[in-house]
Amino acid sequence: MLLVRLTVFAALLLLAAPAARAQSLAEGAQAYKPFVVARASAAVAAAKALEDAAKAGDVKAAQAAWIRSREGWEAIEPITSEFFAKFDAAIDAWPDATQGYHAIEAPLFAGKRDGLGLKAEKLAADLASFAKAVGAPRFRFAPQGLLNGAAKLAYEVGENKSKGGESPFAATSHRDLQANAEGLETLYVRVFDPVLGKRDAELASLIREKLAQLKRLVAVDDLKSLDQPALHRTGEELAVLLQTAAPKLKLKKPAIGEAR
Amino acid sequence: MVWRLRFRGGAVLVGVAAALVLGSAAARPLVTREGVLPPGTELFEDDTLEEPTELFVSELAGRGRSYRLNLGDILFSSPAILGGLARRAGISCNTCHREGAGNARLFVPGLSSRPGTFDTTGPSFNPKADNGRFDPVRVPSLRGARRLAPYGHDGRFGSLRAFIRHVVVDEFAGPEPSDQVLDALVTYVEDIAFLPNAKLAPDGRLTERASAAARRGEAVFRRPFPHDPSLSCAACHDPAQGFVDHRLHDVGSGGPVKTQTLRNANFNAPYFHDGRYATYAEVIAHFDRHYDLGLAEGDRADLLAYLEAVGDADKPLTRRTVRSERDALGQLARVFDKAVAEQNREVIALAVEAIGNEWRELAENFPGPKDTALKAGVAERLHAAEAVRAVVLSLRRLAMAADRGEFPAAARALADYRREVAAASGKLLRAAPFSLFDPGARKAHLRALEALTALGAPAPQKR
Repeated sequence: MLLVRLTVFAALLLLAAPAARAQSLAEGAQAYKPFVVARASAAVAAAKALEDAAKAGDVKAAQAAWIRSREGWEAIEPITSEFFAKFDAAIDAWPDATQGYHAIEAPLFAGKRDGLGLKAEKLAADLASFAKAVGAPRFRFAPQGLLNGAAKLAYEVGENKSKGGESPFAATSHRDLQANAEGLETLYVRVFDPVLGKRDAELASLIREKLAQLKRLVAVDDLKSLDQPALHRTGEELAVLLQTAAPKLKLKKPAIGEAR
Repeated sequence: MVWRLRFRGGAVLVGVAAALVLGSAAARPLVTREGVLPPGTELFEDDTLEEPTELFVSELAGRGRSYRLNLGDILFSSPAILGGLARRAGISCNTCHREGAGNARLFVPGLSSRPGTFDTTGPSFNPKADNGRFDPVRVPSLRGARRLAPYGHDGRFGSLRAFIRHVVVDEFAGPEPSDQVLDALVTYVEDIAFLPNAKLAPDGRLTERASAAARRGEAVFRRPFPHDPSLSCAACHDPAQGFVDHRLHDVGSGGPVKTQTLRNANFNAPYFHDGRYATYAEVIAHFDRHYDLGLAEGDRADLLAYLEAVGDADKPLTRRTVRSERDALGQLARVFDKAVAEQNREVIALAVEAIGNEWRELAENFPGPKDTALKAGVAERLHAAEAVRAVVLSLRRLAMAADRGEFPAAARALADYRREVAAASGKLLRAAPFSLFDPGARKAHLRALEALTALGAPAPQKR
């Protein structure tokens, strides 16, 4: 546990360091990686706390840990399905009563404890494996994959997330959306904005505005306060703008999906 | 309880207390404790691939669908023409009047007294319309509406146009509709046809397809009431006039109400203006009591058989398929040709939202690898979903261009849309056997969903 905390602390320190404006997409991708590592580590640490609380029968502590872990995960969703599809399917399966966040969420937020320990243990282990993979020194994010992931998440924020919520049993879907928006903005600002800003300042500015609009729309206290039509429109517009940016970044137009 | 429910034009998430999910085609989520509508809300079933059959007068007459009919069809499924809670919740006309029919499943706690009823003068959807009373009314079918004036259960509106404006603005807090919006909605509703029924001749008499009991019931239906020979069932429900007389009557249900049609009424339960009766048998018992008809048991049975024959339809339900969904969307998207050519920003914006919603809904029938209940055809489903999303974004580019007033760019985006639809079509059909359009895959998905939702059911309270 101490090791996990130290890792999170170190990652957050790295994250807090002022990031220089990347000169290339590859540099930007490297500048973005600490954010992912930090959030993945936070998700692991909280999942471990969830496991401990679940095994100890402390439902309230387990619920709080589940929410913390979830926020870490949602902030890095632009890269999860794009780069780590197998982990994504295990960690964030739906509908699946046997594994992942939601198989824990459903009983946990109904106040049940039975069987949670093992599921939490597997979630923590899956997250730890994911964090190890993404944090490996040799692992590099390909800019094309990052653009694909960003465009896909932008679309999904407007597609099904705004309609129903990612965390229906915990009723924390608005926090998922906030983490998504934060993660999208961080990805764009660190990886793409410096390069795009030099090549098409107007488009770069439009994307920043759209990201800011997205953040404003999801800054609500609960899902029912969301302006859902505006959110899905904004998400789609953001996805379109990211597709428009692709050739200027010398990348392929991102498809919205994981078909290979 | 169903929480997340499909309807043409979008999906609605409604709040719930934890309970069992009956199903949804949607990938996620089906349950939530944070929905827009009250816990316990049910809009309509999504546990089946069948939906009410919708036929149009113009199509039956071989005239095809006009621009205005297609636009009305789009707007009927568009939450954007409504306001307040309805718009935020993604509710449209079609939510209550499914494919122009009624909706026997609709139930909103605090606004419904029983499934299939809704208080349009309650506080939730337009506080200005709140009459301070809990007085839900039945959600009526709109089939044959052009022949069923006056409108509203109390017949307050002589014209369909005035009634539709009232529903949009007064009941559901929408903005004042433009003439083109109102014209299109009126065209659409007026064009919704009664479903063909081989047991019923054009003059309203039964055909030889009807049973002997039904034909005996026809005689009872036309028989003068014993205490007032000027009255009979047929006097108000005139078979030659679509089983209505266009008048109001006090039939002992709390004041004058409009005569309801009996055509296709097997699918219009609950009955009476306030939906107080679930079955024809209860309706017959009411009239027997109220008019002191003294019906013998056999008369009641025959009358029931008659109502069932008159109220039937040859094909009440239609199976949704990938092909039918694609073709329907192709039909609706024809409005873009005229709207883009005429630089009609209002129509483009409304149509992009509504048709985009339809495509998004379609994509949700092709879940990705996170849906661990579906093993086969992951690649096909991913390709299909990705292709549909490309379609959606081509529509968004069209809307963005029109919004900027760049209509040449809008025209190019429309051409892109057509290409993306063509590209998506084959992928959708290839993925169909592995999608939620396949009954087996749908069943597996629903089972997984039920298992997950059962985990979230409240723990039994300890005594």
